[in-house]
Amino acid sequence: MRPVGFSTTPNLVLRLPMWRSRLMLFLLFFVFTLLLIRAFWIQGPGNAFYEAKAVRGTQRELELPASRGKILDRNGMVIATSLEAKSVIAYNDTVPDDLSAEKVQKLASLLQMSEHDLRKKLKEERKQVFLKRQVDPELAQQIKKLEIPGIGLNNEYRRFYPEGEAMAHVVGFTNVEDRGQEGMELSREKDLAGHPGQRRVVVDRLGRVVEDVAIEQFPQNGKDLQLSIDSKIQYLAYNAVKSAVEQHHAKAGGAVVLDTQTGEILALANYPSYNPNDRRGLVGEQLRNRVLTDMFEPGSTIKPFTVSAALEKGVITPNTSMAIGASYLVGKKPITDTHPNGTLTIAQVIQKSSNIGAAKIAMNYLSPEEMWDMYTAVGFGQAPKIGFPGAVAGTLHPFKNWVPSDQARVAFGYGLSGSLFQVARAYTIFARDGELVPLTIERSPEFKTGTRVISAKTAIEMRQMLETVTLPGGTAVKAQADGYRVGGKTGTAHKLVGKAYGNRYLAYFAGIAPISAPRISVAVMIDEPTGGSYYGGDVAAPVFSAIVSETLRTLNVLPDSSVKQAVLDDAGPAEIHAASVSAQPVVLKR
Amino acid sequence: MNRATLTLLSLLLICALSLVAAQQRARKLFVALERTQVEEYKLNQDWLRLEYEQRNLSKSARIRDVARNQLRMMPISPERTLYLKEAK
Repeated sequence: MRPVGFSTTPNLVLRLPMWRSRLMLFLLFFVFTLLLIRAFWIQGPGNAFYEAKAVRGTQRELELPASRGKILDRNGMVIATSLEAKSVIAYNDTVPDDLSAEKVQKLASLLQMSEHDLRKKLKEERKQVFLKRQVDPELAQQIKKLEIPGIGLNNEYRRFYPEGEAMAHVVGFTNVEDRGQEGMELSREKDLAGHPGQRRVVVDRLGRVVEDVAIEQFPQNGKDLQLSIDSKIQYLAYNAVKSAVEQHHAKAGGAVVLDTQTGEILALANYPSYNPNDRRGLVGEQLRNRVLTDMFEPGSTIKPFTVSAALEKGVITPNTSMAIGASYLVGKKPITDTHPNGTLTIAQVIQKSSNIGAAKIAMNYLSPEEMWDMYTAVGFGQAPKIGFPGAVAGTLHPFKNWVPSDQARVAFGYGLSGSLFQVARAYTIFARDGELVPLTIERSPEFKTGTRVISAKTAIEMRQMLETVTLPGGTAVKAQADGYRVGGKTGTAHKLVGKAYGNRYLAYFAGIAPISAPRISVAVMIDEPTGGSYYGGDVAAPVFSAIVSETLRTLNVLPDSSVKQAVLDDAGPAEIHAASVSAQPVVLKR
Repeated sequence: MNRATLTLLSLLLICALSLVAAQQRARKLFVALERTQVEEYKLNQDWLRLEYEQRNLSKSARIRDVARNQLRMMPISPERTLYLKEAK
C-alpha cells in the first residue's frame, strides 16, 4: 500500500456544503438555550419542589409518646397503670435466610414460642411481622443482645392492674392497642387515652437528630382518673363474697358498699372474677359485672319500701297489729310464709319477714299507684346514672296493668326486678332520714343533698324495724357486726327457671350501719347457694356482717354498740398511756 | 481606604468564624438537651415502675397474708380498741 502524507489526506480536499455547519451551529445554540431555561426554572419558580426534596432527605418526623392516664382509688393508690413494654418486630427482607440454628433457638426460647412457629413467622411474605407484643423491657434487652439483623424493638405500653381480680369488674381492661374494652377503662376512654405528638427534626448522615425544626403537635398524656372505690374495702368485700360462694357451693356472688353521706361507691365486688393482667381463657361468666348488669327479683328486700309507703300515708304505725294466718289467697295461688305466724305488728312483719303481712299491708292500705310511686322514687325501673357500661334499669310494670295478685306479690318483691346496685341505693333513704342520695363512682368526698322520698320520722321508724331483724327473734341474727349496731333486711328469692319458679334460690341481705348514725349502705347477693341453708339470713347476712365491721373500722367510724370500751375526751399523751395500761379487754357476748 | 477594607474584611472573618462556633455550640447543646429528655423519659418510666412495684408490695392481699401468716397478727376488734376523741 502506498503511504499517504498527513497533509495530503484526501479528506482535507473534500468540501462540505455550507448548510450543514449552519445547522450544527443552530442546534448547539438551541440546546444551550433549553439548558439555560431549565436552569432558570430550577433556580426560580420550580424551586419549591427541590427544596422539599432536600428537606425530605435531612428531616424526619418523630413521634412524641403520650401515656394513658392512671386509675387511682380514693386514697391515691394505683389500680391501673401503663408501663413501657416492647414489641418485637421482624423485618423479613432483612433477616438473613441462613440464620444460625442456635440463634433461632435462643430467640424462640426468649419469646416463649416453638422454633417451628418462629421459623414460620420469619418466612411470611409480609415485610413486617410482630413476633410478640408487650414484652417485658428486660426480656427485650436480652433479645437485643442476640444482635440478629432485621429483628427490631418498638415502644409500646402495657397496662398493669395491681389489685388483680378483686378490682377487675370495676376497672375493666385495655387491649394491646391500649384502648379500653371493659369497665371504667371503656367508659372513660376519652379522658384516659393519651394523644401522641409529632415533631420535625434535622438528622445527620447517620440518622442522629441534630436539630429541632418544630413541634407540630404537642403530645397529650391521658388524664388520671380517681375513683371513689377504696381498694381496702373492695378487697375485703371481694374476699367475703368469695369465701361465702365457696362455702355454700354457690354459682356466683356480689356485694355493693355505698357511702350514704357522700354518695360515693366504696366497693363493687363480684365473684367469679378474672385476673385482668392475664386474660387467657376468659369466659363471659367471669366478665359479667353482676352487681350492675344482672336483674333479679329483689324478694323480701323490697318489703321495707312497701311498709314505708303505708307509714308515710299515715294509715298504720309500727305498732299496728294485724292477723296473719297460715295462708292468704289473692288471685289463684295462696301466699304463704316460711313459718306460720298468728298476729304480728307491722314491725314484726319486717322482723319475721312475713310475705302475708307485706301482701296484706299492700292490699288493705295502699293503691297500686302509691306502691308504684314508692318503688320508682327509690330508683327501681331506671338505670342508675353512674357512667358505667351495661348498668340495667330492671323492670317495674306500669301499675295500670297490675291485677290484684300482681299488687300483692310486688309487695314482697316478686314481679319486679332490679340489680343489686339498685337495692343498695334504695336503702340509702333509711340511712339519710328519707333522702335518696345521688351516687358517683368518682371521688368527691363532700356531703351530698339527696331528693326526699319519705319523711325523717318514717325513716327513723324504719331504721328501728330494720335493726330488730338483726336482733334475737329476727331473720338475720348473723348480720350483727362486731362493735356496731346494724339494720337490714334479708331476702330469699326463688329463681325463675324458664317461666316457672324452680328449686333455685338467691340469698340477699341489704342493710345500713351503724344504726345510730348511718354511714354505709351494703347489699350482698349469693346466687344459687347449695348444700345446706339457702336463706338470706344464713348465707348473705354473715357476708354483710364481715363487710360492715371491717369497712366501718377502715373508715374510722366510732363503734355504737354496747361493747364496753374506753372513749377519752381531750386525750393527751399521759391519759392515753394511763388508759392503755388500765383498759381491760372485754369479750363481746351475744 | 486600604485600611478600612482590611478592617472590614477581618471583621467579616471574625463574624463568620463566630457563626460557625455558635452553630457548633447550639448543636452540642441540642444533643445534650436531647439526651436529658431521653433521660427524663427513662426516669419517668422508672418512677412508674417503682410506683407499681410499691403498690404490688402494699396491696391488701399481700399485707393480709404477711400479717396473718408471717407476723402471726390478728384483726383488731372494737372491744380491745381504745377510741380517742379529738380535743375541741
